[in-house]
This record gives sequence, structure tokens and C-alpha cells, in this order.
Amino acid sequence: MINVQNVSKTYSLNKQQKKELQTTANSINAVNGISFECLPGRIYSLLGPNGAGKTTTLRMIATILKPTSGEIKVCGENVTSSPNLVRSKIGFLTGSTNLYDRLTPGETVEYFAKLHGMDKKHYEERKDMLFTTMGIHDFSKKRIAQMSTGMKQKVSIARSMIHDPEVVIFDEPTSGLDVITANNIIDLIRKCKEEGKTVIFSSHIMSEVDLLCDDLAIISKGDLVFKDTMDNFRKEFSGISLTQAFIQVVENADHNQKVETP
Amino acid sequence: MKTILTVFKKELIDTLRDRRTLLTAILMPAIFIPVLLYGMTKLTSIIMEKEENKKLKIAMLDAPAEFISKLDTAKFELVSGMTLESGRDQILADSLDAMVGFPSNYVSKMAEMKTSKVNVWFKSTNLLVKDRMTELIDDFENDILDQRIAALEITKDAIYPIDLLRFNIASPKEQIGQTVGGFLPYIFIIFCFMGCMYPALDLITGEKERGTIETLLTVPASKFNILLGKVFTIALVGLSAAVMTIIGLFLATKFLPDLPEDILESLSAIVGWKFIAMLFAMLIPMAIFFAGVISAMIVRAKSFKEAQSIVTPVSFIVIVPALVAVLPGIELNWTTVMIPILNVALATKEIVAGTIQPAYYIVVVVSLIILALISVAISYRQFSKESMIL
Repeated sequence: MINVQNVSKTYSLNKQQKKELQTTANSINAVNGISFECLPGRIYSLLGPNGAGKTTTLRMIATILKPTSGEIKVCGENVTSSPNLVRSKIGFLTGSTNLYDRLTPGETVEYFAKLHGMDKKHYEERKDMLFTTMGIHDFSKKRIAQMSTGMKQKVSIARSMIHDPEVVIFDEPTSGLDVITANNIIDLIRKCKEEGKTVIFSSHIMSEVDLLCDDLAIISKGDLVFKDTMDNFRKEFSGISLTQAFIQVVENADHNQKVETP
Repeated sequence: MKTILTVFKKELIDTLRDRRTLLTAILMPAIFIPVLLYGMTKLTSIIMEKEENKKLKIAMLDAPAEFISKLDTAKFELVSGMTLESGRDQILADSLDAMVGFPSNYVSKMAEMKTSKVNVWFKSTNLLVKDRMTELIDDFENDILDQRIAALEITKDAIYPIDLLRFNIASPKEQIGQTVGGFLPYIFIIFCFMGCMYPALDLITGEKERGTIETLLTVPASKFNILLGKVFTIALVGLSAAVMTIIGLFLATKFLPDLPEDILESLSAIVGWKFIAMLFAMLIPMAIFFAGVISAMIVRAKSFKEAQSIVTPVSFIVIVPALVAVLPGIELNWTTVMIPILNVALATKEIVAGTIQPAYYIVVVVSLIILALISVAISYRQFSKESMIL
């Protein structure tokens, strides 16, 4: 379970960043007081255009970034005061495979299992199960640099799931992947749900969201502009496509923000 | 501790599989030093031998017959018909090696037992020409001196009242300390720094460039332990580079041509357990200091290129104190003992010479340990900042 309460994240800007963003402000609000809850056995989708604050939110949940204000709890543990307890319960996966080229899949997975403090027996069982399910055994001795993107993605999944996390965080997990590899990820997300795990994922591919998620939130310019179940979202915007509905929500939010801050 | 070991083991495997790091940190120092030393010594001796045996083409202006008759035709070829201008032109054009000019009053000066000027024209770019011409004139002058001693009916002792005898009582070990002792730290400090540089770029910046840092930060391990595992790997590679340099240097001396037997014996005597232990006690904290400094500097870099541009100028800062230690007159004292890198270089020089004072050595080691701890603390501070690592 993930509980996000009134969370904000502010980045201070250096000279170079101010120049790039063409602003004179000393800081920028990436996320403004957002609140939502993800429940076990359900898939929560975080939607939003590029730069909306999705990745920042997921990084705060994953303890990579600290919230400037507000509170995030993962399985009852606070991400700020007990980051290591939170880390032991989460798995984090992104679309880019992010692996060590000179290691083999076996070495990669073993490295992360050891960092998660897994005992040898539990690690061997989990590794065997994951490698068998995803067919990694065939190339487990091969170095990652010599693998295809699909193979790498499988290793990346095994690395993130080796410690059997209760909460799985996917940051645009299918971005840049081919159809077959993307489908493997979608299957994994479904499997996590079946196993009763709490799943949160960010995306801007509406077909994926439609296929998978139970609950959704839309973020625009750091603000949470919509939050409900997927069924209610479909009902509210019946007659138009989900993509059109998403655009409408974001555009309305942008208009309201402009009216509030003329 | 378990996390540090896990990260250390993984980073070591990863680093040892990186050809570029292996080449820079292990192969280069192991091969570069012997090849450089052996090659340079061999090449120099070949060039010197060739120059010494070369028949010099020389011209003479108004030379007396006794000087011309003294010329060894096996070593010199006399070119006739030269004027001052044509001789100078031919020397500049490399078709003549040197020219000797006697003044018109030479004969009368000799008759009056006075000093006469003799001019020699040469090009300093031509090796050994000046030395060989000086030797030729000196021989001729000695003959004149013998004639004058005979004519004045005096002994040589009357002209040379002092017979200077020099006794160098420095042990071969101390003499080596002055030569090898100065050169050795200069080389191993530079290679230690370079040895740290390449794995640091890969393990710190590479982690960011590949995007693996994000996943690494979601494991239940402290950033400090992760960083320590990385710093120890970087330091180990730097240390290996320094050790390979030292091994390479001592191997090279075994095969150096014309190295006196006593020098070789002294070199073998220097490389004992005491020398190794004293050197390691300085090298380990120095390598950690380098690893910490480089890590702290490149944490903010987003790419290899950016990290390289940050760290490359620092290598010049490292070279300067290492180079200063080679200069004559720079010794270990209560001031130099506190200057990082310079203190290691000077202490090594004195360890090799066997003249190191225990108090100085202890201060050097303690100051290096303190610097290593400070550098790791600074790099941890940088590594802990969100803005630095993402």
C-alpha cells in the first residue's frame, strides 16, 4: 500500500538551470501538494504530459528523492524517516534497462539480491523461478553488452523482482521498447496484481492504461488534476476516446491555472 | 560492512573486465617504465657511441703546423680552403662539424710564453662536437705546457700546487636515494592518480550515464556504504598502478646495460620487507585520498566527457609537487612534511636512501590518513546530494 499525503517537491535552480528554463526564479515546484492512495491487488496509473511531475513523484515513493513537504508511506513505513525499510519492500523498474554491461545476468541479479540482504537459499529459489519464467537461463552466462534489448529488459525485471517486493513501481516501463518486449512488461504488471502486490506505474500511452489500471491520477504541471477509479473516468468521459479525455483534463487544468495566476 | 564488500566485489569484477582501465592502470605502468628506461638507456648509448666514433669534418684558419700534425686522421677529416664566412655557412648547413681559428699573433704570443686566444666555431645541436673539440685543444695545450715547463726548468708541481682528491662517502644506497629515489615517487604518484581516474569515471559517472544509479539507490543500503565500496575499488586500482610502476622500475634496472654491480646489489638490498611495508603505509592512504578527491569532483558530472574535463586539469596539480621533489635542495622537513604528495615523494626518496627520520615518516602517514578521511567525507557529502547524483 502506498499513501501519498499533501506531498510537494521543490528543486532549487542553479545559474545554468535558470538559463535553460528561461526563468529568474531561484526554485521550481515539480510537485504541488498531491495526495493519493494505491491499494494492494490494484494497479494505479499516474498519467501526465512530459515534465508534469510523474517521475519526481515515483522517485519520492522509491526514496530516491526526499519530499520537500508532506508525507509518503509505503506499507506503513515513512519514506523519509525509514528509507531502508521502504526500499526493502519496493521494486523499481524503468523503460531504459539500466544494467551493467560487463556483468552477466546471474551476477547482476546476485548483486542486487545481496544488497537486499537476501539469504543464499531464498535467493537461489527466487532466481531459479524468475530465470525459468522469463527464459533467462539460456543466456545467463552471457555478458549484458552482448544481449538484445528484449533480453536486457528480462534481466532488468529479474533484478527488480528478485527480493519479491510488496510494492512495484514502474516508471514509463514500456517507453522505447518493441511490441514483444513491451508485452512482457504488461504481463508482468498483470502478474504482480494477481499476486496481490501494490502496483503504481506512470505512462502516457492510453491503450496501456485502459488495458491495465484500476485507479488513475492525472498530473499536470505538478498539480493533481484528476483522481478516481478507471471505471469512473470512463463513465465521466463516455462518448470520447480516452486520449481525448486525457487531453481535455490537462487542457482544462492548464486553463484554470492561468485564470488563478493571471 | 557486508554492503561495502558486496559493492567492492562487484565493482572489482566490473573494473577488471574493462580493457581501458586494465590498460591504463596495470599494463601501462608495468610495461611503460621498463620499456622507457631500457629503451632510452639503450638508445642513448647507441647514439653516444655513434657520435664518439664519427669522423668529424673540421676546417682550420691560420693553424700552426704542430697543431695540424697532431690531428688524428682516424677521428678528424681536415677540410681545406675555408674562410671565416664560408666555414660558418657550412657549419650552419651541417656540411662541416667545426672550425678552429688561430689569431695572427699566435706564434709571437707563444714565443713570449703568453696566452693566445683560439676560436672554435660549432653548432650546439650537434652532439659531442664541442666536447671533442675541447679535448683536441686541451691535448694541444698540454703539449705546450710540457714544453714551457721544460724550458723554465721547473716541475709540474710548481704549476699545480694542489692535488684535489674527492671521496664520496655516501653509501650506494644514499646515492640511489638521490637518483632513483627522486624519480620513483614522481612516476608512481602520477600512475596512482591515473589508475584512480579511469575506474572513478566508470564507477561514479558511468553509473549516472548508464542510468544504473537510480536502481542502485532503491536498495536498502546506505549511500555511505555504497560509496565506500566504490572508493575502495578505485583506490585498489590506483594502488595496483603504483605497485606495477615500482615493479616495472625495479625489473627495468635488472636489465639496464652498463649498470655498476654495486648499484644493482644496493637496489636488491633496498627492496626488502621494511621498504615495502613503509611504502604501502603511505601508498594506501594516498590512493584512498586520490579516490576520494576524484569521486567528489566528478559526482556532479553527467557524462564521461564532462567528468574527464573536470579531472584532467587536476592531474597537472598532482604532477607539480611530485616534480618539485626531484629538484635538488628540496628535503623533508617540518614544512614539506605537511604538503600532500610532496611529502610522499620526499619520504620515498629518504626511505630509499635509508635516511628517513621516524618522526617525519609518522607525520607523513598520519597526515595522509587524515586527508584520505577528509576526501571520503567530502565525496560522501557530494554523493548524498540529490542534485549531484541525478
